[in-house]
Amino acid sequence: MQADSLVPAFSDPVVDSQRVFRVLLKALSEPGLIHEVDFVDSLGPLDEAAYALALTLLDSSTTVWLSPNFESSLIRQNLTFHCGCRFVAEPEQAMFAFLTADEVQVLRRLNIGTDRDPEFSATAIVQLNTLETGEETVWTGPGIEYSRDVGLPLSTAFWALREQVNLFPRGVDLFFVAQKQVMGMSRTTQVQTKRED
Amino acid sequence: MTVQSSMTQRQEWMQVLAHAGDDLQQFEEQLAGFDYRYIRIPETGMVMARGRTGGTGQAFNVGEVTVTRCVVRLNDSGTTGYSYVLGRSLRNASIAALMDALLQGPDSANWFDAVIVPLQQQQQQRRAQREREVAGSKVDFFTMVRGD
Repeated sequence: MQADSLVPAFSDPVVDSQRVFRVLLKALSEPGLIHEVDFVDSLGPLDEAAYALALTLLDSSTTVWLSPNFESSLIRQNLTFHCGCRFVAEPEQAMFAFLTADEVQVLRRLNIGTDRDPEFSATAIVQLNTLETGEETVWTGPGIEYSRDVGLPLSTAFWALREQVNLFPRGVDLFFVAQKQVMGMSRTTQVQTKRED
Repeated sequence: MTVQSSMTQRQEWMQVLAHAGDDLQQFEEQLAGFDYRYIRIPETGMVMARGRTGGTGQAFNVGEVTVTRCVVRLNDSGTTGYSYVLGRSLRNASIAALMDALLQGPDSANWFDAVIVPLQQQQQQRRAQREREVAGSKVDFFTMVRGD
């Protein structure tokens, strides 16, 4: 039976989604800092923070692309039930894309907006195993006073590709999530991989 | 065939529960023993009600009405119960959702006889009463027919 895979979402949908939204706002305005999001249990392969973010940002007016790694009837049914969002088959059509670290090529296919309407760009949610142990990168830009060392477990190919799709004011905003943690990265953030120095 | 008939029966009890209002609260004690959790906590919203003048005109938007919805899951059987009830009572929506879950379970017939049948009779009586009252004020314009 279909409905049996439904699970509870926020215990108080209005207040909790506002709290999560506030955290996401903070995460995006201070790129590279780790924030805690502890409101819901994980949903199958979707971590706690990723699920909370989905419940907060998705509604009937947003289109969502799910990576094949997240493709399950559990996730689809619950997001459809709680958010009412529309799923799309191609990343190009999505406003929000949920992906994992090994799917960097998807970045290239996301909508980066236009020079006149950069806000039409997609937001990518990248789920990682951890936000703390990875190759060190140096982030600079708005929201960072001098520079910030961030160690995300991502390949140099990922950063190179992100550079390619980041044609300011066009570009893709990113959220990195792992378990209950979330980190934001706006399109204005400059990333230097240490190997290049 | 079985799907069709069980669907219509569920529609029947859903309709009765949706219109029951505060009458649902008399059954609250009987539901106290059941363990359940909320999938969607009771929440109130608006839906557009549509109607026709004289039953024959074009459908138009009469106005918005408040509706409260709720989804619960029984902890033992895992049955999911839904409710959409008129009004803003979170309590009524919870009771109706729990009732829907129980009506889908093995004890369905008993619940139907104990809850839905009396509520349905009440609602039909009220409706008939109201119809009688309205019928009493009906005017037939026989004398208004033009001609000789």
